Amino acid sequence: MRKQLNIPRATTSVIFLVLMFLGVGLVNPRFLSFSNILLTLNSGVVYTVVAIGIAFVIITGEIDVSVGATLGLTAAISGTLVRDGHMFLGIVVPLIVGIAIGVINGFGVTYLKIPSIIMTLGTNGIFRGMIYVYTQGKWVENLPINFKGASQSLIFGTFTRFYFFTLVGMVLLYFFMTKSRPGRYFRAVGDNPNGANLLGIPVQGTKFSAFVISGLFAAIGGLMYACRVGFITPIAGMGYEMKVIAACVLGGISLTGGVGSIVGATVGAAIMASISRVLVFLGFSSDYDNTITGILLIIIVVFDAVIQKSSAEKMRKQRLAAKIVQGEEVTDA
Amino acid sequence: MLNTKSLTKKLYRWETFLVILLLVEVVVFGLINPRFLMPRVLFGSVNNFMTISVVALFVTFVLVTGGIDIQSGAIVGLTSITIGILWNDVGMSLPLALLMGLLVGLLCGTLSGFFVAYTDVQPMVVTLGGSFLYSGLAILITNFSSTEAYKGITGFPEYYSNFVRGRFFGVIPYQLVILLFFVAIAYVLLHKTRYGRYVFLCGVNRNAACYCGIRTKRVVMSTYMISGVGAAIAGILLTAYLGTAKTDLGKEITLPVITAVVLGGTSNLGGTGGVIGTALAAFVIGILRFGLSMANVNTQYLDIPVGVLLVVAVAIRFASQNPSFIRLRNKLRRRKDSVNK
Repeated sequence: MRKQLNIPRATTSVIFLVLMFLGVGLVNPRFLSFSNILLTLNSGVVYTVVAIGIAFVIITGEIDVSVGATLGLTAAISGTLVRDGHMFLGIVVPLIVGIAIGVINGFGVTYLKIPSIIMTLGTNGIFRGMIYVYTQGKWVENLPINFKGASQSLIFGTFTRFYFFTLVGMVLLYFFMTKSRPGRYFRAVGDNPNGANLLGIPVQGTKFSAFVISGLFAAIGGLMYACRVGFITPIAGMGYEMKVIAACVLGGISLTGGVGSIVGATVGAAIMASISRVLVFLGFSSDYDNTITGILLIIIVVFDAVIQKSSAEKMRKQRLAAKIVQGEEVTDA
Repeated sequence: MLNTKSLTKKLYRWETFLVILLLVEVVVFGLINPRFLMPRVLFGSVNNFMTISVVALFVTFVLVTGGIDIQSGAIVGLTSITIGILWNDVGMSLPLALLMGLLVGLLCGTLSGFFVAYTDVQPMVVTLGGSFLYSGLAILITNFSSTEAYKGITGFPEYYSNFVRGRFFGVIPYQLVILLFFVAIAYVLLHKTRYGRYVFLCGVNRNAACYCGIRTKRVVMSTYMISGVGAAIAGILLTAYLGTAKTDLGKEITLPVITAVVLGGTSNLGGTGGVIGTALAAFVIGILRFGLSMANVNTQYLDIPVGVLLVVAVAIRFASQNPSFIRLRNKLRRRKDSVNK
């Protein structure tokens, strides 16, 4: 039953995305050109990666607001290392740092029992401060051309390599989450932690690994950010946590846990990234960006909640009716 | 016997811990930099955490019902720019513009509160949407102004700024008095009125509250309205203090506000907490930041100690509620009792 409810939810987001593209295409046909669609999707590649990571945490019913600081810190670390000529270290060290931050968050939430929003709020402040300590408040600039060029390199002549690998990763993670045993733990834990515990699922371990995954993906996002932007300021990634959570919600992931998929996170991030480009093509200024995002978020979520409520009500009525019919049969006999 | 018991109970309270923390901070920073203890300097530090405190006081209401409000920062900015435009470009008198600012805060709070209370959407999502929406609206309405957005609207009359910047006897800032005034209001509203009890009951058990005949939906919605007005008040005060109306005034206060509320002992799961704790926590954070910056710590590093403080304090609190810890404590107490006998 859960599955039946889930499939339409990610699909609504896809339909919404397609309708948005078509609608803008009607006004400005140039928007629908293949290269522009790819460009639009590609502009949201950092959001997509971070959203996929945080989706694991949200699906287990927790939240991680430290991804923005993680992204900034890892971007700064990779930037300085690469600038000083350590290409290999510049890729490996940030990933380790990201995992370490995930471990810290996971430890606080699962072992110290600190509510996740408070724990990650605290670590967000701590690691944001660390960026200033690490960079002395200076910008990280002068990254080598081949590092920056990595974000431009194409695969099959059309896709940028980053977005292609993100999509491949998404598909693999989707199968991991829906088909493999440990992958399915995430949704079970988020849906009903006590029930999952009774079934012998390691609830705390699953939550812990969700935070580690989130940290790792935020670090990958940080690497991509460093490549794409080419310079890192101390406020890099600030506010990303909110945008990424919004992307997950737009993609149909419920913050109460247990509902949603990796595909949803990807689609949600694509919607978030498209909004600003859509506005450009419709001739609006980018001032409307936040307003439209806010309105969309509220409308989609409220609409979804109303539909869910009415369908739950309908099912309850059906069940009740079935019970009454059964009861009559019993008395007749 | 009973007396000592209630005394120890009071000593175990979270607020006591915060007071001790505050005193320790004052002593430590006083030792590091004696200038810190000058009344003018110490009281003057209030301007650093005025906004956060006022917003946090009223956000406490939302957290007590088990919700969360991350849109207050956006409302602060929206209020500020509304006042600026109504006064500067529309030509309203300033008091009327301030009133309209409050109204804007109320409306924003009402809109989000309505969605939280009457649809089953999580408060975090609604207020996240609200934060995008209201900060976006703030940017949009600056287009009505003749002043460029990044400059901000300035040139408010003297009395408006003096209202916030002045000091009693040249020592105690008006801001501190205003802040204590709002602490008193929030305290009475949450802890001494029937409405306040309703708010708590909605946080403890919403269904039970509903069966008791409390209009839980209205109560939940009203907490968001209160928090919206609180943010608007903070916007008015901050505009007065800076003398500038800008869209991004409250941009970075959301996380500090939640930090203050949670450090103050209000659970994000609802049902427990209080205004005094929030106020004390806001002071603890404010003094910590101010003291460190006076001890020549780079202001950009100050997020680190605040984050550590939050995590450590909350870890201690949750550890003390841990069943195994309570069992250990009871065991020790029993042993002590038997020795006494």
